[in-house]
Amino acid sequence: METAPMKRRKLGHEDDGAEKILKSGASTRFSRSRAFILEADELLQEVQLDHTVALDGVDGLLHRIKGLIEAIEPHAPLPIVETTTMLEKKSLLKVPFPEPRPAETSNLKVSFAKPQFNVVGSYVSKTMVKTQKDHTVDMVIVMPAEIFQEKDLLNLRYFYKRAYYLAVVAAALQKDLSSEAQLSYDYLNGNPLCPVLSIHPTASQKKDNNEITGPLDYRIQIIPCSPDGFFSKTKLNLGAALIRKTGEEAADSSPQPTPFYNSTLAAEGCFLSYLRLLRKTEKKCAAFRSACMMGRIWLQQRGFSGDLPDGGFGHFEWALTLALLLQADSNGNATLSASLSSTQLFKATIQFLSATNLSEKPYILGAGKADLESAGDPGPVLYDASRQLNIAFKMSPWSASLLHQHAKWTRGVLSNNAVDQFSPTFILKADLALHNYDLVARLNYDTTFDDATSVDSRGKAWQFSTKAYRVLNRALVDSELGERARLINIKVPACPAWPLSARPSWPPNSTVEIGVLFDVVNMSRAVDRGPSAGPTAEEKEECQRFRQFWGEKAELRRFERDSIRETLIWNSTTPFDLCEEIMRYVLGLHLRIGHVDKELTVYGNGFSALLPLKPDDGAVFIAAKKAFGTFERDIRDLEDLPLHVKQLAPICTELRHTSVKPPSIRPSKSKSGPRPMEAVISFEASGKWPENLVAIQRTKVAFLLMIGSLLEKKTAGAIKTYLGLEDTKCETENAAFLDVVYESGTSFRLRIHSDLEETLLERQIKDKTLEQHVRTKATSSLATFKRLYTNLPLHNQSVSTFATRFPAFSSAVRLVKHWFNAHKLWCHFTEEFIELVVLHVFLTPYPWDPPSSASTGFLRALLFLARWDWRSEPLIVDIGGEMSAAERVAIETRLEAWRKLDPNMNHTVLFAATSQEPNGVAHTVLDGQAKPSKVVAARMTALAKSACWLVREEGVGLNARRLFVPSLKDYDVLIHLSSMVTKRALRTYSTDEPEEASNKTRSQYKNLDERTGQEPLPLAQHPAEALFKQLNAAYSGPLLFFRGAAEDTIIGAIWNPQLLRRSFRLNLPTSYKPVTQKSDPDEDEGEDLVAVNREAILAEVARVGGDFIERIDAKGL
Amino acid sequence: MPSACPPTIGDFSVLPVSIPPLPSFPRSAVHYVYVRRNAPKVPTADDSRSLFLTNVPVDSTELHLRGLFAALVGSGRFESAAFEEERKESYQASTTDLQPASLVRQLAHSGNKKRKREEDNAAERAEEEEAARLPSTWTRPLRRSGSTAVVQLADEKSVEQVLKAIAKIHKSKKYPTWGENVADRVPALGSVWLKAHNRLSYPDKEVVQAAVDAFSALFAKKEQEAAEMAKKLRGEADEDGFVTVTRGGRNAPASRNEAEEAKQKMLDRAEKRKSELTDFYRFQLRERQKEEQADLLKRFDDDRKKVWAMREKRGKFVPEA
Repeated sequence: METAPMKRRKLGHEDDGAEKILKSGASTRFSRSRAFILEADELLQEVQLDHTVALDGVDGLLHRIKGLIEAIEPHAPLPIVETTTMLEKKSLLKVPFPEPRPAETSNLKVSFAKPQFNVVGSYVSKTMVKTQKDHTVDMVIVMPAEIFQEKDLLNLRYFYKRAYYLAVVAAALQKDLSSEAQLSYDYLNGNPLCPVLSIHPTASQKKDNNEITGPLDYRIQIIPCSPDGFFSKTKLNLGAALIRKTGEEAADSSPQPTPFYNSTLAAEGCFLSYLRLLRKTEKKCAAFRSACMMGRIWLQQRGFSGDLPDGGFGHFEWALTLALLLQADSNGNATLSASLSSTQLFKATIQFLSATNLSEKPYILGAGKADLESAGDPGPVLYDASRQLNIAFKMSPWSASLLHQHAKWTRGVLSNNAVDQFSPTFILKADLALHNYDLVARLNYDTTFDDATSVDSRGKAWQFSTKAYRVLNRALVDSELGERARLINIKVPACPAWPLSARPSWPPNSTVEIGVLFDVVNMSRAVDRGPSAGPTAEEKEECQRFRQFWGEKAELRRFERDSIRETLIWNSTTPFDLCEEIMRYVLGLHLRIGHVDKELTVYGNGFSALLPLKPDDGAVFIAAKKAFGTFERDIRDLEDLPLHVKQLAPICTELRHTSVKPPSIRPSKSKSGPRPMEAVISFEASGKWPENLVAIQRTKVAFLLMIGSLLEKKTAGAIKTYLGLEDTKCETENAAFLDVVYESGTSFRLRIHSDLEETLLERQIKDKTLEQHVRTKATSSLATFKRLYTNLPLHNQSVSTFATRFPAFSSAVRLVKHWFNAHKLWCHFTEEFIELVVLHVFLTPYPWDPPSSASTGFLRALLFLARWDWRSEPLIVDIGGEMSAAERVAIETRLEAWRKLDPNMNHTVLFAATSQEPNGVAHTVLDGQAKPSKVVAARMTALAKSACWLVREEGVGLNARRLFVPSLKDYDVLIHLSSMVTKRALRTYSTDEPEEASNKTRSQYKNLDERTGQEPLPLAQHPAEALFKQLNAAYSGPLLFFRGAAEDTIIGAIWNPQLLRRSFRLNLPTSYKPVTQKSDPDEDEGEDLVAVNREAILAEVARVGGDFIERIDAKGL
Repeated sequence: MPSACPPTIGDFSVLPVSIPPLPSFPRSAVHYVYVRRNAPKVPTADDSRSLFLTNVPVDSTELHLRGLFAALVGSGRFESAAFEEERKESYQASTTDLQPASLVRQLAHSGNKKRKREEDNAAERAEEEEAARLPSTWTRPLRRSGSTAVVQLADEKSVEQVLKAIAKIHKSKKYPTWGENVADRVPALGSVWLKAHNRLSYPDKEVVQAAVDAFSALFAKKEQEAAEMAKKLRGEADEDGFVTVTRGGRNAPASRNEAEEAKQKMLDRAEKRKSELTDFYRFQLRERQKEEQADLLKRFDDDRKKVWAMREKRGKFVPEA
């Protein structure tokens, strides 16, 4: 992790700060980890609270509370039932007894005596941060030993007494404080055994929480606890059964161990001991406090806290772990040295958490023996041997796995020196179920579950969740069946604070939330092979177990090599459906859920349903690739070509698994002409190319014609070729392409690469004697050339590699593209850029792993787009996986240089560099124009931000469609295209006279129509696309158009506010009308003002579009 | 709005044109074309009988303008129109397009004698070039919004008349209508236009082949001419008695590619010689180490600066809620 300190070297001159850090060794090697240290320091300063200001008056209040409690009259032991009733009547409050409440016949006696006071927690250690959810000051009142008996550890007796004690305190405080503070009960860390009194001063409530400088909105928690060491620790070991059944029930079953109950009781006596430990560590290790604050932020960003529903591992547990790691064991050796810096301590703790999954393997901190064997299955164990307490007792097996996983992911970031380590670790909020899990389900348990045998004090939800987790874990995560899922997490509902005069108000809907993180490869398996059904006893036993778990689903099957195995056959095909099917089956089987259909609701699949292609439609892409293979063979087999074919490279989305629509392997009766898949062909180097750009283009045309006729001749009718002309203005640009249409319906578009073209263009750029506009033109032509013949083939290759490497990549790309499409941003972005964005999310997925489903990939891509500060950060996609730090720095420098050169971002806006294309603009600048422009890029960020906000607000129940609804009201002009006319325009025939009037009366008899049986021409480009391009070219000044992909029938547009009014000049950027200046003669006297003639422009658009445009809606006309 | 329109703006006369409503945009509008006498920077013979128009509608064709002027001053006055894009195009074609690029400048320098022959050949060559052109893919081009055109009229008097007619219009408020009596004589826009584009994008192969062949012939001819000229120029002194130095050996000019390759080879050799000598001496090693150290310090400073920059932007150090 950290490198060893460098050898000390004598330096003649004095150390300044920089050199000190250089010499401290830990940071010499890598720029990133240095940056991480600096950034972390900055973070600490930013979040640190100024305690004198923020928590002003807390001490005074605490003193008053102390005085009030001390004034309470002690009383001798009295019977619990009567005393409680009296207290409840007198003070109008309820005693917060844990369930089950003390029986009416209980002969327990309760009393009150003066406690000891202490303030603990992050208030005293000053480790609170500004951004935490709520700021609580923990005041511990140690109940005196005389009110307890030795046997109080049994059957909740201690907790009954504690609840009574708390109620007495509450009654006393209520009298005096109710005017200035709000008093309520709450559970300590959501633990239903330990109610606490929460005091919320009204004075602090008024303050606006966003205002960071003023006093905070804080609460004081009053926590009664037992005297240190009152109960024997040995009796409280994890295996002890302390809740015993009475009467005849007890006779027939041996008591079950109650690990949670025992640990809660043990923890009750440890408050002060831990307070001492933390204070001691703070003194010993200077960086301890900072490390704790960093840990607190890290946990908070991942949704962890000490509360039971939030995982049971919060800053307190973090601080204890770190303190114990810093503590010397019996030999005097500490695991961590107290002289480490705060970032080093933080990294070490992450390392520690990532090394052990506490739910699989208990970990013992400190010297001393722990009796863990007798405990049975106590859940996650992080055992503090000297205090004999399981620090992780509030954790559940799933939260331990989740913590382990998060720590592993963070360790991944921290060890990757190439990327930004800081923001994934501390800034990014990574607690959303939809970002984390591929499948989220809600499960009702109330009506169906009743397990009387369990003695879990955490309540019914927990009993149920534990059981469900065990079942699901075995079915999905265990190695027995090939690890379909990497992680299962369950979210149990929490109980909010409740008023003194009421009973705890558990949320009425009794559901738990289950999140599943897939292992994509394994999850898509439809057949599970279980143990082989052999004759040996072991094998038989295994089969027995298998059958017991899987029930009727298990069947025997014979596989190759004559092995007979227990087998499970599932009906679904996609990973998501498979997971759902398995979950429904096993939960129904083991939890006896009657109607699983109703009780289990599954979320997360809504996104893929939006796409025309299903996630398992990889087959069509493979078919397209095969067809391309045939095409390549056909070309290579041509014998009479004058040059040898070097390479035939695909450059279209259909041939790299990322097109939104399936590749058009067209059945012959399709509605439109074929849409060819594009490719470029390059030949061996040759000196025969003419040394002139125009001549090269013409030679290429001749070449294409030759290839076409050779292909047609060779295959005799199975292939038709069409020579198409590019829609270009300039003769030096590529002039033509060849469309090759196979009889089977597949079609390809071929362009020829000539390397001489590049040399000639480069020569023109360098030639200083040429006119400037020629050189500018040459520069943009060269960029186009490089993109078409170098970048696109490479991009195609690498993207299709990643589509195979990450099974979820292809569908995630399609979802993101669909999003761009739905919001009419499509026309402003290249598809390659969108692919790079998604690729970035897969290659640097921190703080997570690469997404394993389309929906997580999509949502995280949106998150990236929302957070990406493209003004100052380049998007760097390390395709080869071996980009050096120097290369990255070079890319960043290049962006800086661009920004200096073009601060208004007129030419370059987004900067997306890859290891193959470090210039960063191949896919974001086309023909010398930024694609997208700054305005559109800002709109993209805004849309992504609001989408992310919606995802966070709606949570699991999010309706996927809402993310894809365009807001048409943002546009000034809406141009509605007629979909019927568009469809008609999709077919053209070579026999059509181009000049003839529209759809000249065709013969009504099919056999007389000359077009019957004739193949339509391929589409050079979609007609709507062509119209759009023409409009864009004519109105690039006054109107900014927005449009989705080819099928989008509504074009949105906004007026350019900079052009609305101007003085008259010879060269007008668009159509203007004169403005009469009578209204305000003072202004611009003498200048001839003109304003954009909106009506005339829209009338022009209407004329150009003709019948293609159904209607034009304009705002403010 | 039309009532308040001033008759002139700057030195331009304002010509309002009324635009009839269409079903997709049922609203009548007025388009304003700005007209003045043509006075280009480089004067030509026809300037006196031409008008300079700015802000012509995007769907303008020569027929449209002819109709417009006929409505103003009656038919027979209008001769031709040249649109902004076309004028630019012809200019570009003459400088770069069909000339073998490497020879353009040599031809330009070649003096007056050559130009005479050029002029003789001009007409013939224009024809050849026309044959070598690839067919257009649009039946009708769109103009950029707000673009210009130059209209040539029959004579100077027509220019006067047009300007007068425009002034009159402002009084009578009878604006000429755009596209009147023209619609069926120009290629239609809309879906027909788009379909025709797709159709024209796939021209008959024979046509393309013919164009390509014509081009190669033309190109070969030009290249030969240029080569001959270059050869001639090698020994010939110009008016001041200077001989232009051209590349190549005694027999023929060298190919540009070969020259570049030779240069690259030389550079490579120099590079190699240099690289053999790095880290050879102790002082080099020491200097390099020093440089690395300095670099390290510099990067540290860079990092610090970056963090400061981030702090200035704020928000980057606050964990997201």
